[in-house]
Amino acid sequence: MIRLAAVGDIHVGPEVAGSYGPRLAGLSEHADVLLVAGDLTRHGTAAEGEVAAAELACADVPVVAVLGNHDYHSDEQDEIAAILRDAGITVLEGTGTVVDCGGTRLGIAGGKGFGGGFPGGSASDFGEPEMKAFVRHTREFADRFGSALLGLDCDLRVALTHYSPVAGTLAGEPLEIYPFLGSYLLAEAIDCAHADLAVHGHAHHGSEKGLTPGGTRVRNVALPVIQQAYAVYCLTPGGEGCDEALSERAELLGGA
Amino acid sequence: MTDAPDYLEAHIAERLAARAHELGISVDVRDDVVYLRGEVVSEERRRELEDAARTAAEGREIRNEVSVVPVRAPDGEETLS
Repeated sequence: MIRLAAVGDIHVGPEVAGSYGPRLAGLSEHADVLLVAGDLTRHGTAAEGEVAAAELACADVPVVAVLGNHDYHSDEQDEIAAILRDAGITVLEGTGTVVDCGGTRLGIAGGKGFGGGFPGGSASDFGEPEMKAFVRHTREFADRFGSALLGLDCDLRVALTHYSPVAGTLAGEPLEIYPFLGSYLLAEAIDCAHADLAVHGHAHHGSEKGLTPGGTRVRNVALPVIQQAYAVYCLTPGGEGCDEALSERAELLGGA
Repeated sequence: MTDAPDYLEAHIAERLAARAHELGISVDVRDDVVYLRGEVVSEERRRELEDAARTAAEGREIRNEVSVVPVRAPDGEETLS
């Protein structure tokens, strides 16, 4: 069994430096790894990135993070990612990583993701260039994210995004903004890879628990949702998402 | 005139995003009073968003009902099997 700590939307900056990090003290007693689901900063400045890196460095377990929309606000996302990496944090953007958790290989693939909406209320790759660019940004990410998930050589497969793959964990948010909170394309990639768990942030007024159409558990770990420094999920290998079904899926996907 | 409060709410929300970088605060204008609701992690951010809202409130009274919720220590775990 592995224990996975997760949090999103910590939104730190110089004015609250030192307020979050201490909450991570002794994390290894509760978890094997910490996943951070984006929006580490508020304005997306490198200075805030430095604070985020220092806070997360308080964790005594491997830290895997993705960036969020706030981390892009000042066009310094690459710098923020570099600062986090220098602090020993793995930053995913349509990529994957495998963390050895006491002999169990935990595979994590992820990235920021983007919006577009959910079945019944989603944007189409149609019309003005701006609209097409919006939808294509999500689609392009979902393709890389899906390949990264399938490419993980691991015992447990976890998806980590900032935007939500499902509408279920958005309950509490105004319906009008759902298309800006996530996209079903992310869920499709997660289901293709039979991920064991999907973790996201972004939806501060949403709810913690949801499910993809394919049956993968989804958890919204935005700080205002979980209302604690991090949530801990215990996963045991051997459930769904095993290798046989997976290779079949990989073939299907490759042939598409 | 009936939809004027809607525009004002939208303008204040825009200002909250641009100046206070808060996207999750609800803005409600009733009887010329602007109500701000939501949660932030520090008193400073609470004041900051009120100041930002004031710059777009066109002189209306602001009731800042945003609460400050500090980060709690973690509590318990969920087993997924």
